[in-house]
Amino acid sequence: MDLLQRFTHGEIDAFETLVRQFQGDINAWTVRIVRDPGVAEDLTVETLWRVYRARQKFRPDGNFGAWARRIATNLAIDHLRRNRPEQSFLAEPAEAARPDPLVQREIHERIQEAFRLLPAKLQVAATLALVEELPYDEIASALGTSVGAVKLRVFRAVRILRKRLNQAGIRPE
Amino acid sequence: MKEHKDKHMTEHNDREIREALKQSFPPVNTELRRDLWPDVLRKLDLRPVRVPWYDWALVGLSAVMFLAFPRLVLVFAYHL
Repeated sequence: MDLLQRFTHGEIDAFETLVRQFQGDINAWTVRIVRDPGVAEDLTVETLWRVYRARQKFRPDGNFGAWARRIATNLAIDHLRRNRPEQSFLAEPAEAARPDPLVQREIHERIQEAFRLLPAKLQVAATLALVEELPYDEIASALGTSVGAVKLRVFRAVRILRKRLNQAGIRPE
Repeated sequence: MKEHKDKHMTEHNDREIREALKQSFPPVNTELRRDLWPDVLRKLDLRPVRVPWYDWALVGLSAVMFLAFPRLVLVFAYHL
């Protein structure tokens, strides 16, 4: 019996081998979405626990890495939903953009804040596509959707962000 | 003509947003700092103990039997 079959039968040794093989990949993927290594570690542990619990749903001829990554993505989306910041940045208009590094830093912070206010699914698609510059098919696979749907989410994220930044008087350089 | 200009402006703005995002989110360290297997194992052990339905059925049946025939408690206690 091969490793994945043993895993689906609940053999803990097989699962340990898979954890050691895939924990780095799952953690790296999660960090890219949540942007916080500490949070990503906790979410990776949670992902691996859910992977084990859902082992009977996994087909041994399937791609374990892609399946685990999808579970990790869903958990990261839930985390972003739960930790959405309060809508505060729109309240105060930004100073006019100047080449001053402090002002630039403030603008970056406000862009980050505006970005975190996006709906979680749009945020994840935009992070992976625009910040991490990952291929759309890879993102679509992790989100369990089509390439077209990912492009639409990215498009909507950029539009919402542009509108919000305009409202707040922030003009990215 | 105006429509074309608007479209061009929007595309330009979108490019700016994309650039600004890249600058606002610096690369993160994706290296795993420690082995997570002990944590996973601990979490697996913390799973709530699930009592199978037939155990509950047995408890229910025993309770009914003891209520209907109280002397069975003595027989039961004798065999424990």
